[in-house]
Amino acid sequence: MIKLNPAASITEEFAEKVRNENRNDRLMKLAPIFVLIALVMVFTATCGVSFISGGNLLNILNQMALPLVVALGLTFVIMLGSIDLSIDGTVGMAGSLFACLVLNSEFGTNLGLMGAVIAVGASMLCGLAVGLCHVYLKIPSFMASFAFMYICKGIGMVSYQGHPPTIQDPFIKALPTASFLGIPFITWVAIAMFALCYFIQERTAFGRHIYAVGTNESIPRSVGVSVERVKVGVFTLAGFLFGVAGVIGAIRLGQGQIAIGAGKMFPAQAAVVVGGTSLAGGKGGVTNTIVGVLIMTVLDNGLLVLGVNPNIRTGIQGVIILVSVILTVARGAKVISK
Amino acid sequence: MTTQERNTRPLLFSASGITKSFAGTQALKGVGLDVAPGEIVGLVGENGAGKSTLLKIIIGAQPQTSGSMTLHGQPYEPRTPMDANRAGIGMVFQEQSLIVNLNVAQNIFFGHENLFKSHGIISWSKMNRAAQEVLAAVDITDISPSTKVSNLNFATRQMVEIAKVMDVTKRSGAEHCLILLDEPTSVLNEAEVENLYRQMRKIADQGHAVIFVSHHLDEILHITDRIYVYKDGSSVGDLDTRDATEARLYEMMVGKGTTTEYYHLDRQTVPSEEVLLEVRDLGIHGIFKHVNFQLHRGEVLGLCGVVGSGIEEVCEVICGDERPSFGEVVIRGESMRFSSPQQALAKGVLMIPKERLFEGIVSNLSVEENIALSNAHALSRGPVVSAKAVRRQAEEWIKKLRIKTSGPQELLLQLSGGNQQKVVFSRALASGAEILILNHPTRGVDVGAKEEIYAFIRNMTEEGKAVILLGDTVDEYLGLCSRLLMMKDGLVTGEFDAPADGKPSQVDVVSLMM
Amino acid sequence: MSTKNKALPGKRAILDNIMEYFSFSAIIILLLALSLTQENFLGEINLKNLLRDTAPLMIMAAGMTMVLLFGSIDLSMGAVCSVSNVAFVHFMLAYGESFGNPLLAGLAGLAVSLLFGLCSGLTLGFIHVKLKVPSFIASLGFMSVWQSVALLITQGPESMKKALWPATDWYKISFGVVGLPLVLAIVIILLVYLLTRFTAFGKAVFAIGGNERAARVAGIHVDRTKIMVFALNGVLAALAGVFLAANLRSSAPTIGDPFTLKIVAACALGGTSLAGGKGSELGTILGVFTVAIIENGMNFIGVDAYWQNVVFGIFVLAAIALTVDRRTRGQIIK
Repeated sequence: MIKLNPAASITEEFAEKVRNENRNDRLMKLAPIFVLIALVMVFTATCGVSFISGGNLLNILNQMALPLVVALGLTFVIMLGSIDLSIDGTVGMAGSLFACLVLNSEFGTNLGLMGAVIAVGASMLCGLAVGLCHVYLKIPSFMASFAFMYICKGIGMVSYQGHPPTIQDPFIKALPTASFLGIPFITWVAIAMFALCYFIQERTAFGRHIYAVGTNESIPRSVGVSVERVKVGVFTLAGFLFGVAGVIGAIRLGQGQIAIGAGKMFPAQAAVVVGGTSLAGGKGGVTNTIVGVLIMTVLDNGLLVLGVNPNIRTGIQGVIILVSVILTVARGAKVISK
Repeated sequence: MTTQERNTRPLLFSASGITKSFAGTQALKGVGLDVAPGEIVGLVGENGAGKSTLLKIIIGAQPQTSGSMTLHGQPYEPRTPMDANRAGIGMVFQEQSLIVNLNVAQNIFFGHENLFKSHGIISWSKMNRAAQEVLAAVDITDISPSTKVSNLNFATRQMVEIAKVMDVTKRSGAEHCLILLDEPTSVLNEAEVENLYRQMRKIADQGHAVIFVSHHLDEILHITDRIYVYKDGSSVGDLDTRDATEARLYEMMVGKGTTTEYYHLDRQTVPSEEVLLEVRDLGIHGIFKHVNFQLHRGEVLGLCGVVGSGIEEVCEVICGDERPSFGEVVIRGESMRFSSPQQALAKGVLMIPKERLFEGIVSNLSVEENIALSNAHALSRGPVVSAKAVRRQAEEWIKKLRIKTSGPQELLLQLSGGNQQKVVFSRALASGAEILILNHPTRGVDVGAKEEIYAFIRNMTEEGKAVILLGDTVDEYLGLCSRLLMMKDGLVTGEFDAPADGKPSQVDVVSLMM
Repeated sequence: MSTKNKALPGKRAILDNIMEYFSFSAIIILLLALSLTQENFLGEINLKNLLRDTAPLMIMAAGMTMVLLFGSIDLSMGAVCSVSNVAFVHFMLAYGESFGNPLLAGLAGLAVSLLFGLCSGLTLGFIHVKLKVPSFIASLGFMSVWQSVALLITQGPESMKKALWPATDWYKISFGVVGLPLVLAIVIILLVYLLTRFTAFGKAVFAIGGNERAARVAGIHVDRTKIMVFALNGVLAALAGVFLAANLRSSAPTIGDPFTLKIVAACALGGTSLAGGKGSELGTILGVFTVAIIENGMNFIGVDAYWQNVVFGIFVLAAIALTVDRRTRGQIIK
């Protein structure tokens, strides 16, 4: 209950209210980091110090590579206030196409690294198509991307006709075990993607415009920034990152199949939201996402070490999405949620 | 400067014969406005007098229906706010247009980042330095351009906004710019308002001009050089500020008195002693507080206040749409805490909302369905809503309120504004609610329908209902209400009895609102 | 404004009519094309297959239509259906014999499944309506939770014991080519149609879909109505799970997953707008048959199962693009 101060004028009360809200906002911003620290402490207490040993930390670093790349792509989409549910399909499709195009057990193609470029390109095209459907056909983004999840899954499965190709290119086969400075090659790719996204978000006008479009579309529109172009650009960028994630997945698995994408969406969704990027748009960013991905990976890793059933672990992701959205969503009599 | 002096100097901006109509109603009926370089012009008038509409036309956010504008003597026809900015006109909107998750510099140069591009990369340090200069021009030296806007308080944000608008207009290269300020002081405290005045004066001294809209007459009198007074979409005159007093402005704003027939004054009922609703020390934190009144059977109680005075929120609390932070609402002696309008309706309280299109009607449903919206249960036999009863009810109200429609099954979006509003009234009357809150019931309605709606309100009180009215004009309040409650800045400032033969003067009412 | 609205109907009417007759004409064209090019397509066996497999989809689409009518969506239906499916069979395996009578056991299993559906729907409705979480994200979370619950109950398919088969015999009853399940499904969807058209509850659903704010201010039970629809929707999804179990006499923990897109496709093809306030259960019946014929036809011709995903995805997009209201220019869609 708010204390009534009869002397204060309404203006002062209003200012006080805003101050309180700002303070709460700032506290909420720090919450993900506290959660992460708490998680690490809980798991260290229950699993023993081996949990924070170098080996397990490297393990976590390795595990978070792919989810991070996916979550980065999703971050920009969520910053717009939109959402992309096509992840399972696009990631799987890119992985499948990549394996089909490099030297493999099923088909006679051998495009080498061009294969990766084509696979990522295809995924970008799908992102572009989602963006165009969303912006110009005015289909809500969750629906457009949901349909594209199925379309991409279909394309991916068609590409290998039921016989998942095993990658035989010796260079690519060697990549999963390759490392530089003790950090696996694949993790380096994820780090590079993070750097790229951070650069786009912080250093380019496009990145700044994403925040503006997510906050209030009429502001960028009034200064002549094309809201449509920003949105389509974001979905294309997301497609690019999902494609990269797919290629990483195929390299790690040594095989191309649609299952590379299976179950990639929930952890990404949960990581972005847990990191503090609001579903309403305009808030958060890729640095939040890296914390979110860390939380999700540590949690998953910890539960794995504790020997928890993997099905329970995926269920927990759903609960986490719900809880973090419930904690951050705007409420009030006039807020209409659809 | 006097009128004569003005005529000898070239005008910076001039508008003449501006009209604007929305869906059959005229928001502006041919107004003019002249601004000379170096001048601060105030614009005052009641709610809905057309001030904001004019500003939106000047900034290019809306086109005028007719009339012309000139800038530096040249024809000026902005199609978007960008056109206006390029011509050297900028506006600080009532709602702030800063993006809170970007920093100050990025907000100031939003959409113009390419100015700071070198080798394809934006140099933020260059942008920050430029922002520093822009801020210094409005005497802000204590914040860094790289601070996130979300970390600034409202007053500073407002100054950043002004700095941004100043910069945008200056970048147009025009020698004399025009800045429009729409209610910029509503969230500022006294010291902050003082600083804003200083900046406005400084801007004017540099040869630019400012148009300043405010509901606070003391501010207008304090800072402006000249004042335009608007009423009902027309200009009732302009005067130099040194000739103006609050009393004189009030008189100009209110104009001629009530016409008895128009408001059916002969049918004004004398309220009974029975208290239907009582509000005790009601308040929402930061919006309004200490609101007390009683509403009697057969009474029309007017809640008078300008935008932001809290009257709208008082109504929302009473009809269950918003929860109060303090106080209580007592209905027929029973203390209530509504958590939804549905609960309020069950106790006989219903509101006719202000934004008809967004809150009042379901436009893709038919007339009969809309009328049955609040009382579908009463028309049911068992679980099934009787289609016959719905139809009969609709036909009855169409006849009673003379709703112009091709039939009960016509979709509501095909009706005119006035007839849509009659459908909303039918719904409210059919619901059986005894306490009706009418929130701007005649907004966007043509004159003929207005008079009919006034008659409906008389019918209501004759039937023993009680009405809380939020009106469009003071004239309307005085014509319809049997008692008036004035609010300003979230507090009640006064109360008048207004029997049919002893209405208070308009000036008295307005002086308690502004 | 008013003049604009009056000028528009010409173009709107054409679009509206396209949508109204879209499924109907699609069904005719598809049937014609398939029966002309494919022998035996209209043969008894295939027709029987086609009509029987439609029942679960019809039941779920009946629920989804209501949810879409007020502008929300439930992406968890497929997963609820899976859980109900495995729960039903699991229950029969564990306790079926203790009831003595297989029919009684079947009814008990049905009750357990439906109760689960009800609870799921109520919780989802509560989280969406009272905690203001957008329905697609709330239901997405539920989808994840229920998918893993289904896998926790059983990792792989489970079959019912032969002794309990009589509990599901009703599923095989048929009148000519039309099976009892389809009859039941159509009865259910017609009941839902009556509910939405002729009761105060249904009027509230349409009013909320048309303008939620106006419905609230007019004193309609907005929150209660929405939660009830979600609850009913959960029950229907659970019922569909039992239907699937009865059909195969076995369960599979991922059986409901492919349904989600098909449900949305059927509703959209039936002319129900995703924005709410527009659509009808009758249209959904046509939409369901369109989806069923497309699926069955693709199988019949021998279209790669992989391509079917692509085709459905494109159909959903096309159907939604046709029903989207683009009248308000610059409208913000998230």
